[in-house]
Amino acid sequence: MTTPILELRQATKLYGGVPAIEGVDFSLAEGEIHALVGENGAGKSTLTKVMAGVVSLSSGTMLIAGREIAPRTPLEARQLGVAMVFQENSLVPSMTVAQNLFLGQEKFYNRLRGIYIAAQQFLQSLNFDVTPTATVAQLGAAKKQMVEIARAVLHEAKVIIFDEPTASLTPEEKKYFFDLVRELKRRGVSVIFISHALEEALLISDRITVLRDGRHVVTDATANFDRARVIQAMVGRDLSKTLYAERKAHVRPPGERVLTIENLRMAPMVKNNSLSVFAGQVTGVFGLVGSGRTETFKIAAGILKRDFFHGGEIVLRGRPIRYLTPAPAVRDGIAYVTEDRKVEGFFETMSIARNVYIGLLAKLGRRRPLVLAREAEAVGKKWIDALNVRAIGQDVKVVELSGGNQQKIVIAKSLVQEPTLIVFDEPTRGVDVGAIAEIHQLIDRLAEEGNAVVMISSYLPEIMARSDRILVCRQGKVVEEFSARDATEEKIMYAAIH
Amino acid sequence: MKPLRITQQGIVFSIFVVLFAGFAVFLPGFLTTSNMLTLLQNVAVLGILGLAMAIVVIGRGIDLSLIAALAVPPGVVLQLVQDGHSLSYALLLAALLTLAFGLVNGWLIAYAEVPSLFATLASGLFLAGLGQAALFKLDVVQWSPGLEGFEGLGQGAVLGIPMPIVMFVGACIVVAIFLRRTRFGAFIYAIGDNPFAARSSGIPTRPLIVLQYVLAALIGMLAGLVLAASVNSMPTRIYNSTLIYDVILVVVLGGIGLAGGRGGVLNVVIGTLLIGTMLNAMTIMDVSYSGQNLVKGVVLLAAVIADSFLNPRNEETAQQGDI
Repeated sequence: MTTPILELRQATKLYGGVPAIEGVDFSLAEGEIHALVGENGAGKSTLTKVMAGVVSLSSGTMLIAGREIAPRTPLEARQLGVAMVFQENSLVPSMTVAQNLFLGQEKFYNRLRGIYIAAQQFLQSLNFDVTPTATVAQLGAAKKQMVEIARAVLHEAKVIIFDEPTASLTPEEKKYFFDLVRELKRRGVSVIFISHALEEALLISDRITVLRDGRHVVTDATANFDRARVIQAMVGRDLSKTLYAERKAHVRPPGERVLTIENLRMAPMVKNNSLSVFAGQVTGVFGLVGSGRTETFKIAAGILKRDFFHGGEIVLRGRPIRYLTPAPAVRDGIAYVTEDRKVEGFFETMSIARNVYIGLLAKLGRRRPLVLAREAEAVGKKWIDALNVRAIGQDVKVVELSGGNQQKIVIAKSLVQEPTLIVFDEPTRGVDVGAIAEIHQLIDRLAEEGNAVVMISSYLPEIMARSDRILVCRQGKVVEEFSARDATEEKIMYAAIH
Repeated sequence: MKPLRITQQGIVFSIFVVLFAGFAVFLPGFLTTSNMLTLLQNVAVLGILGLAMAIVVIGRGIDLSLIAALAVPPGVVLQLVQDGHSLSYALLLAALLTLAFGLVNGWLIAYAEVPSLFATLASGLFLAGLGQAALFKLDVVQWSPGLEGFEGLGQGAVLGIPMPIVMFVGACIVVAIFLRRTRFGAFIYAIGDNPFAARSSGIPTRPLIVLQYVLAALIGMLAGLVLAASVNSMPTRIYNSTLIYDVILVVVLGGIGLAGGRGGVLNVVIGTLLIGTMLNAMTIMDVSYSGQNLVKGVVLLAAVIADSFLNPRNEETAQQGDI
């Protein structure tokens, strides 16, 4: 057997003492397409980030073409021939395609005409249908990805890593993407491919590696796998079976109609969206990135504003509402738990208790002019216990916690405001498996207590397992509604992408 | 066990202790009661301004118009009294002017969403220009008999402690209570830490930003009154001096990060004490003005670099611990 182009031995990466990957062995042969699959939080992203130099290993070794080396920055990795195409792409939106391709390699005198011609020739040689003079911001998701791939090839990458490349692509674009990947393979480039979509992994890859809870489970030729075997390897444990049970045992009936949205518009993301949310059940909202699902509920919570003219109607318990800021929405009992907790979730310089207490202060407003240290402590302690936050003490700063515990704090900060309509946006993104189960139980419990719960997710098994009612968003509006009883993954996916 | 964290605040405080001890031992005439009082008196106005700046910086802003708020409203007080109005009337009018000025600053930053750096740079220039062009007859607004008794604010003493120090200590206590014990204070920290999270938690971020600039302007005016009362005039040209840089120096040196959400009154006090000690010692040692600036610059750079090494802002690098 020839030397693998890239190899990891006993790779371990700790985040704040918690292993994201632990003792993983991985090898990539030259010119192979290697699929990396696993549940959310299985360590796929961490593993590839190590290879791409985004994070460095806590212990273990990495070999490139048989030579022991560990890239410390993405630039070093690129120089070693390892390029990563991220979920959120790393192009400069205001520059043209050609400028992005040659970014960082410009000559001292940067002649635009020259790079346009070079880019045109290069893109043609790859058979990519992208105009080099187009601004990246104007391109669709698939074309952006092409530019990313072209850039990786241009930099003579020997290994290209794709993190969820197909998540935001339409079926035609996906087919085109697969052709691209095969073309890369023909050129002798090795490809690592992270995907939630098992069919894709089975279709395109030569070998599949399954990770679970940060550990390596199995690596084998794709021919020896079928869907059932991959799922078995991914899930493996009882916990995961209860997490994403195929179907709910019973569907909760709708209670009072809490929120009605009619013809909501916010150019360009939300287009004539209409939907209802009922008390006492979990309304799952599924949609791909850019389907307007997050924006719709951010408008309802006063975080974003709808169009001033023809913006549509939002009715909360029979009362039309139009919030200019989130403060009145909070007073009316609407909570939005963000999908991006680092950017808009918590206060990183503050302790756990203070984070939660700020939520309470914001709700109480005038009724609590002074900060009561004893109350802050009690509230912090109560919610740490209630949500089972694992931390050394309540004075620990939130940044020092793991993703799951951070998410619990963000949830506590909202729940302390005693909301009756709670919107969870991707509640388990970047959350460890144990905490996922707890957050799911919490979501169920909130619905049982009679609250209206909305759960936005782009992870189908999560939607399937937790929702009583499923709304599917596409291109700015809800296009289909299912009862959890008769929804299937295929039906939901079909509605979301066609 | 939690590892011992070395904060910038700690570094600056230890530098202060080392310097102070060094001067006390080696510099004759440094450690005397009268010199200590002089030291404090000289930095009291700077310290009060530091408190005003701290409120704004904690809320992730900056107020470059503080010196205008220091110079113009007290100048107006002196001018009005000189023109024959009563002191209380003059004070009321000046306070209203300051209030309006703070509101405009806050409105520009919170509602018109002008970056605080530009908004306050422009508004400060405007107010200072307005004062010099339209309100004052001379660049140095002179003392007049109608101000009888007012000089006590700068020259009096309580229990032998000079009034400027008393005012600084009083302002410290009030601002500390405001920041640490009131809801508004907690919200200002929240806004400075993460404005998006603060907003979506239901904190009225815009009114609170306005409040910060109103408070800053009012505290700036207080500093100006103390200054005018101690020198028996209001040298409005102080706006053209480098005082604003000293204020920023005090705040940053004390460890109130410009990124917002960090630090408090204690940091202002530490920053002020260090600057006060350095300036006082250098004056005793007869270091030239330019030499003093040189030393200040080096100290500030050292503090900022030490901070970025010890407390890396990026979470990813913090976790790796390899910076």
